[in-house]
Amino acid sequence: MTASRAWRVRPRLRPRELGLLIVVAATLFCGWVSLASTEAGELALGEPVVLLVYLGLLALLHFSFVLAGRRMDEVLLPAVGLLGGLSLLLMARLPQGLVVQSFAGRELGLGPLQLLWLSVALVLLGTLAIVVRSDGWLRYYKYSWAAAGVALLLMVFVLGEETNGARLSVSLGPLTGQPSELLKIILVVFLAGYLADNRPLLARTSTNLGPIALPPVPYLLPMVAMWGIALSIVIVQRDLGAALLFFSVFLSLLYIATQRVSFVILGVLLFLAGGAVLYNLFDHVQDRVDIWLDPFADAQDTGFQLVRALYAFGRGGILGTGLGAGLPSVGNNLAIPLLHTDFAFASLAEELGLLGGLAILALYLVIAQRGLRIAASAADDFRGLLAAGLTLVIVIQAAIIIGGNAKLVPLTGITLPFVSYGGSSLIANAIIVGLLLALSDQGVEPPPPRRASRRERASDRARQIGGRIEEALS
Amino acid sequence: MRGQGGAPRIGGSIMRVALALLVMYAGLAGGLTYWQVVQAQELTEAPGNPLTLAASRTEPRGRILDSRGTVLARNIEGEDGLPRREYSFLATTPIIGYKSVRFGATGLESTYDAEMVGLGRSSPAERLLRKFRSDPYDPQDLVLSIDARLQGRAFDLLGGDRGAVVAIEPATGRVLAMVSAPTFNANLIVDPARAEAAFAQLNEDPPEASRLLNRATQGRYTPGSVFKIVTAIAAVGSGAVDADTVYEEQPAAEEDGLRVEGFRIRDGHHTFTGNEALNFVEATEVSCNIYFALAGLATGEDDLFEWSRRLGFGSRIPFELPTAPSFVSGGTQAEDGFDDSVELASAAYGQGETFVTPLQMALVAQAVANDGQLMKPKLVDELRAESGSVRTLSPESLSRVTSASQAALIQEAMQAAVEGEFGEDFAGAAKVPGVPTAGKSGTAELGGEGEPHSWFIGFAPVEEPQIAVAVIVERAGFGRERAVPLAGQLMETYLDLAE
Repeated sequence: MTASRAWRVRPRLRPRELGLLIVVAATLFCGWVSLASTEAGELALGEPVVLLVYLGLLALLHFSFVLAGRRMDEVLLPAVGLLGGLSLLLMARLPQGLVVQSFAGRELGLGPLQLLWLSVALVLLGTLAIVVRSDGWLRYYKYSWAAAGVALLLMVFVLGEETNGARLSVSLGPLTGQPSELLKIILVVFLAGYLADNRPLLARTSTNLGPIALPPVPYLLPMVAMWGIALSIVIVQRDLGAALLFFSVFLSLLYIATQRVSFVILGVLLFLAGGAVLYNLFDHVQDRVDIWLDPFADAQDTGFQLVRALYAFGRGGILGTGLGAGLPSVGNNLAIPLLHTDFAFASLAEELGLLGGLAILALYLVIAQRGLRIAASAADDFRGLLAAGLTLVIVIQAAIIIGGNAKLVPLTGITLPFVSYGGSSLIANAIIVGLLLALSDQGVEPPPPRRASRRERASDRARQIGGRIEEALS
Repeated sequence: MRGQGGAPRIGGSIMRVALALLVMYAGLAGGLTYWQVVQAQELTEAPGNPLTLAASRTEPRGRILDSRGTVLARNIEGEDGLPRREYSFLATTPIIGYKSVRFGATGLESTYDAEMVGLGRSSPAERLLRKFRSDPYDPQDLVLSIDARLQGRAFDLLGGDRGAVVAIEPATGRVLAMVSAPTFNANLIVDPARAEAAFAQLNEDPPEASRLLNRATQGRYTPGSVFKIVTAIAAVGSGAVDADTVYEEQPAAEEDGLRVEGFRIRDGHHTFTGNEALNFVEATEVSCNIYFALAGLATGEDDLFEWSRRLGFGSRIPFELPTAPSFVSGGTQAEDGFDDSVELASAAYGQGETFVTPLQMALVAQAVANDGQLMKPKLVDELRAESGSVRTLSPESLSRVTSASQAALIQEAMQAAVEGEFGEDFAGAAKVPGVPTAGKSGTAELGGEGEPHSWFIGFAPVEEPQIAVAVIVERAGFGRERAVPLAGQLMETYLDLAE
């Protein structure tokens, strides 16, 4: 890779992205007018500055991509842009005092703060998409990344502060962040590296446990370690959602790498076993499951949020109440606690109806399709696994929280990617999409495979012989 | 095709993971559709829905009207400038309940909360249109089947005694009057300035007053002889008894009682019928305990439960107000069957561990009057929206209890119990002058000190009945002393009003 090749700039038009972004802008503009008109009681524009800043940022990103001249995916940015725009519409109409932070002496409410975070996230997304030209820094340092991840986890265990019964956030000076958002990226980087290296070994049967074929025992260790990490997140961090997400992504990647259904079944069984033990040992797990099974049993207290969310779904119906006409505008109190984070989807589904809810689902599926396409056409296993893992993080996370809102799975406190309020979540997901865009550029050649050392080759040969002997015996 | 190191390429498995994601999202879409389409209406109308609660503070609320348009409840502006309910009649309190921002809602105010606020059912086209209006509410008036005049008359007839009256239109199940006394002044509860004192006053009342209880649907009483009609329905319905059934041992047992497993069932009222064995109609006319004990034994436990279940016993009657289930055996907790024939025989003539609600007994009369067809009781005839749309709630059948000819036999027996030579002595006062009247009185012995409950169920006219009633006056003596004349006057009032 020469420097001149890496940084050669030849503008390349992105007509598909431009077209889609124009549709996104028109949609968001309609939404904005609808919202402002509902609030004013007549046709109104409100204060379109917020929206214009956001649309301007999307345009800036598009033209930067054009100038950068890379052959990147042209659908991801509009999809993410629309989700972020919906988030902005939602945050702008919620009570602004929900979250207040001061920046440079100015008090910012919910809407402006979300715009700020969205801007930071989009700039980061664009920068990564343009700048990342090599995956070596991810590929060759997987154990360093793993160490960083464990350090991050430990930091949460030690320094974490409790919010809503979960120990998620860590404060560093004036900034508060949720490290588990970054942790999920690190996890995928490590897993992609580990699985790409050990794929052939993992895919080979060596131990049989009844009908289940297991890989060689040493290679089971990461699986058990992941399981342990997921459980410890549940126990110490009380974050069921993150645990579920980590473990689902891990199993999916393991399956992609090994194509062994038995691993998935084993993993699910392990998860269920762990879940059953946790259910019996920990009140917060038990509460979550009980609420899920019958939220109406204690509709005034523990089941409150979920019952309110279901009312919101019901009120939305097929067409929705219209932006700005949903529950929060009736009465002085928020109808659903944590509307801006955990229940962002329920809130949007109320105002946009079933059709809007399905459209949001479709947007995540678009991201899934683009991401998995990038993975399937990747030049090598590491990049394929990395792209698939990053995509799955977003898509599965969305499914977990949407399912939680709609009482399909136990409710957990994770965010809806690009929609929920929160800097950590927006930034982490922006990093993911930025990396996906960079990976989608087929122009970047993968580094040459490392030659295996003589020792590795010898042991590999020995294993092959061992395998043959086993086959002959059985 | 092999990738690095001999393992298969990952493209194929990515495809399968994509498929799994697709299935997962299809599940999510299904879940959303369930809540937003299938369950949408039910969720919106749920009484705990904060939207309904929020709207009830400030939004207009539909009125409640009787069948002739008399206003029973409406919104007025309170001293604090907020809308508040005003109720026209004390007598309708057990039905309508109250709607208070502070104390919540009871009665029809609770059941039809969403409709009166205007969040209830309307056609999809209307809902779509309303989306373009700034005010999403369309308050609906409730039009009840209750006739305020009959309701007031029933309340006056109870005259301050504890008890309940239920009157039903036999062909439709429409409730014409439903009174529970004593009751309370709902206007005090909805007035923020007076509610505290009103509740304090209610708490000071002696426990038997229980003014907040709707006795008609939730009060459970020993039925006494009115339960013989349930036994009759089971006996005739199952074929154990027909018009000619007589029990040879019955006349002799009148003298010193009927022995059932060593227990002696006595019959104090009609030794005057002599030595001839009574048939079904005659036995009903004189309310023969021994005949009905024997009929109950002949019918058997299973069939007695089967036909009482068809009448609504054993579970909550579907109704627009909360109802308590009536039980043939086992008291007020649950149907638990009979331990022995003594219990079965005692229950058969109404002195077992049987507990019934006045609504249940009114439905027994309704089913007999309506040729064996039990109707679902209903209070609301129409929902009239401010926008002009009207939704009519049609009558619904609950179950076919007996055939029409079987019902006719029971009708004949009940007419004899009011109009017959001997029956007249028991329940003649229930007869509406000039109108063939059927019924059955009851005297529920409660054991210990004090007067029995006075009961009557019946209907008039016998052909094409217009009104079926159940009346209970607590601790008021024999059926003929209190409940029978009350029912007669009530039915007369209604038939006069209908003319």
